[in-house]
Amino acid sequence: MNISPKEKTLNMMFIMPALVLFLVFNLYPLIRTFQLSFYQWNGIDKDMVFVGFAQYKHILFSNPAFWKSMLNAGYVTLLSLTLQNGLALLLAILVNRQIRGGNIYRVIFFLPPVLSGIVVGLIWKFVYDGNFGILNHFLISLGFDNFKDFAWLSEVKTSLSSVAVVHMWKGFGYGFIILLAGLQTIPIELYEAAEVDGADKWQQFKNITVPCMIPVFTLVTILTILGTMQIFDLIYSMTRGGPAGHTHVPITKIYEYMSNGEFGYSTAMAIIFGFVLLVVSFFQLYVSKKFNR
Amino acid sequence: MFRGRFFLFVQVFLCCLFLTISGCGKKEGSKSDESSIKVWHWMTDRQAAFEKLADQYYKETGVKVVFETYAPTDVYKNKITAAASGQLLPDIFNPLSDKRELASYIKAGFIANLNDEMNSGWKDVFFEKSLLQNMFEENNEWGVEPGYYGVPLDVSSLMIYYNKDLFAKAGLDPDNPPKTWKDFIEAGKKLRAAGIQPFVSGFGEAWLVGSFASSYQWNLFGKQGIIDTIEGKISYTDPRWVKIFELFEEMKENKMFASGIVTMINKDAERTFATGKAAMALNGSWGVNVYKSMNPSLQYGIMYPPSLPEAKYPLLVFGGDGSSMFVNAMSPNKDKAIAFLKWFTQREQQSFLAKETLNIPSNKESAQDLPEILKEFSKSIERTFDNLPMIESWQVTNYINTNLQSVIIGEKTPVQAAEEVQAEKERQMKVEK
Amino acid sequence: MNSFKTKKQILDFITHAILLVVAVTCIFPVFWMLSSSLKTQEEIFTKMTLFPEVWQWGNYVDAFIKAEFGMYFLNSVIYTVVGVSAIVLITSMAAYGFARLEFWGKNFLFYLLISTLLIPIPGVFVPLYLLLKKLALLDTRTGLLLCYISGALAFGLFLLRSFFEDLPKEIEEAALIDGCSRFGIYWRIALPLAKPAIATLVILQCLAIWNEFLLALVVLQDKAKMPIQRGLMVFQGTFITDYPLLMAGLTIATIPIVIIYLLMQKHIVKGIAAGALKG
Repeated sequence: MNISPKEKTLNMMFIMPALVLFLVFNLYPLIRTFQLSFYQWNGIDKDMVFVGFAQYKHILFSNPAFWKSMLNAGYVTLLSLTLQNGLALLLAILVNRQIRGGNIYRVIFFLPPVLSGIVVGLIWKFVYDGNFGILNHFLISLGFDNFKDFAWLSEVKTSLSSVAVVHMWKGFGYGFIILLAGLQTIPIELYEAAEVDGADKWQQFKNITVPCMIPVFTLVTILTILGTMQIFDLIYSMTRGGPAGHTHVPITKIYEYMSNGEFGYSTAMAIIFGFVLLVVSFFQLYVSKKFNR
Repeated sequence: MFRGRFFLFVQVFLCCLFLTISGCGKKEGSKSDESSIKVWHWMTDRQAAFEKLADQYYKETGVKVVFETYAPTDVYKNKITAAASGQLLPDIFNPLSDKRELASYIKAGFIANLNDEMNSGWKDVFFEKSLLQNMFEENNEWGVEPGYYGVPLDVSSLMIYYNKDLFAKAGLDPDNPPKTWKDFIEAGKKLRAAGIQPFVSGFGEAWLVGSFASSYQWNLFGKQGIIDTIEGKISYTDPRWVKIFELFEEMKENKMFASGIVTMINKDAERTFATGKAAMALNGSWGVNVYKSMNPSLQYGIMYPPSLPEAKYPLLVFGGDGSSMFVNAMSPNKDKAIAFLKWFTQREQQSFLAKETLNIPSNKESAQDLPEILKEFSKSIERTFDNLPMIESWQVTNYINTNLQSVIIGEKTPVQAAEEVQAEKERQMKVEK
Repeated sequence: MNSFKTKKQILDFITHAILLVVAVTCIFPVFWMLSSSLKTQEEIFTKMTLFPEVWQWGNYVDAFIKAEFGMYFLNSVIYTVVGVSAIVLITSMAAYGFARLEFWGKNFLFYLLISTLLIPIPGVFVPLYLLLKKLALLDTRTGLLLCYISGALAFGLFLLRSFFEDLPKEIEEAALIDGCSRFGIYWRIALPLAKPAIATLVILQCLAIWNEFLLALVVLQDKAKMPIQRGLMVFQGTFITDYPLLMAGLTIATIPIVIIYLLMQKHIVKGIAAGALKG
């Protein structure tokens, strides 16, 4: 069925408000940012020094710290994709089954995202504290005496993972409600028909739930990747990128350069980072399209 | 059909919404109000005291002064950055930046030079060191016209607090804190033996661990030595720099550091000291208030970081000006603003502020009226870092601070740390060519 | 038969155990926040007890007054309600357009609008500030709202388009044949069916706007327009944080969000009730 140009134009009305807002408030800053990346500028001087691609070159070839921060973020993202989303899915499935107290659980699981970052940072630092932290207290009471003064956030080996745990704890609530919404959108009739046909719960899961949920999985996966790669607040408040710079992530690095008067350089970093995320997202979409057959 | 009408309805609804909202918002010009002086600051706990003084000033002179708080400091800094880009800075503010960035603000015309006023007697009311921090010397690195730019509102310095009760418990004399480095390490050993964590500080914050090392840089190199280092004439692998890293290693070997010190922000360290979980804390004069609010019964004293026996120069501490204010050179109220600041820093006003907000006033005479421990702090103001005509690049400073942390956690040896810093220094010097 | 029942019981037990453990870790911080809000500053530091010795209910009154919550609360409500309504309207319309309608450059435009999800610009508040200045929208509620709405576009589009694409086409095609306009289909069929997704978007955006702080402080100057977060700022002094009052303030500030969540999450569950397929 061919659509007339008149109809096409009217259809565009649907996206007009969004498009206009985007052009003015999103595209303009984006373009300005892109422009800035070709200059060396500290945000105040009247003159900006044009440096062309020099800053990009430096980031790509002479800034190992930036790429290490990228790996750090990647590590936390991998953990999130598996553990955090796994937990969110499990909980969504469990709660979806209309069990006793399902309503209450639904509310409780969304508490971590609702809590202010200040409270989260304070509490978890308290948990991880070397001297009077709850975690060590618990481990020692179980007999693991070598954890007596263990500073989870200051030891190179455990620092990033400790922050990752907090990130996952704070984040699973988002995945939970999106997955739950997805599960709830699957028409009950499909399950009822399958039950009549004699399929058991596992078969129902495999043949109805999973295929119907693939778009939602994709959505949650991409949102997790984008959200976790851009992690900042938690790292900043719990370790400041330490110990000795081992928990830096791209955004803390960008922030560091920006705070030290390297506006142009930091925007170049942001653009390169965006490009990496773009590649990852497209890869993810491609993989899921193949799954969707 | 529905299509057109409903659609239209939705679009119109949205428009109405926006119009209503914009009707609600008055567009107040932020600096076009000529009759009042606008001050932007980040000190939430002093807002009430500031307002009282502003009222008093209004009664005395008929000039209205409006104080606005934007906190915490990083949000404040963002607000200043945005306002600067839009040329909408208030009459009095502080860019909260290092000397380099401050130089940019001055050269862009945002900050007024106060030489005339200062040199006609105003500068005499201040602690000399507090003024120096906001001064630019002759032949400074950035080509800024030398002279005075900032007005210090209070002063502070970094010293080592020590818990008298814990000292006694470990068999140390609470009225005789360690004076030499050797005594300092010995004290640490005794405290550890008594099951007490000897030393804590917010070493997760780069500037704090850096300032402790800087004290020893002044101790070993002196002003000219530091200038030479920045200019590249002295290498960071100089044995004296290795010695500075070794100091931290020695503290680590003797288990002096509190658990988790490298990721502690200052607030965490303050909590640790206030609750008696560590015997010594490197912290600023503001700590007096913080500890009071957390644990009023805490018994403590202060001591200088212990000097090194082989050092040829005096040991200086981080500090000088605490909070300062600058005047917007582009403001039509410039002269009125300067007059206000002059009044604001007179003895009476400063004493009032000191009493209300428990900070050390920048006015020398007011310092006489302070409670005991703050008076001790005020004596240390003279021994704060001297002014420098140039500063090290932030990348190298970053490397120093990161490598200090590396040494503290035992990841690198002092020699390795020194070499890393020197490598970065050489990279930066190549860039600057 | 018996083994079947025990198997189910074991599964149920494990289910509840998992749910309970996770729930406890989620509740603990809230509990801690509440308990701290009822202590005195000293108590928080010197005594690590679970419950306060004397329950300082006065903290809540103090926090409310000191943080001038009365004034800021209204602003937060305006920003959240107007902002989220606009976001839902604008993004759902656009998402439906991208999901179901034909027009020029559809794919290109979609990916363009999504692109801002990818590029994190910590310094974005500077160009936004300058833009608002040019439009004479600095220190206005409209200006801030426009920033919030445009900030949510990418996410909302991304979320809603996949839900719209997922809806069964048969209903819409049936309605088209019946003579319903495209907009009518959107308004009467697609939107209600996407209630779970919309409810999710509402919750997430309410949370984001309610907690937003930096942009509000940079763009606004008039205290009368500031949101609640600015009120909380008062408890974090330059050096001293008034923890009990801060916790009390945070508790007060968190309650509206929890209420919104309670209201909205029912829709996530009820979404199915449309029973559309039967029609």
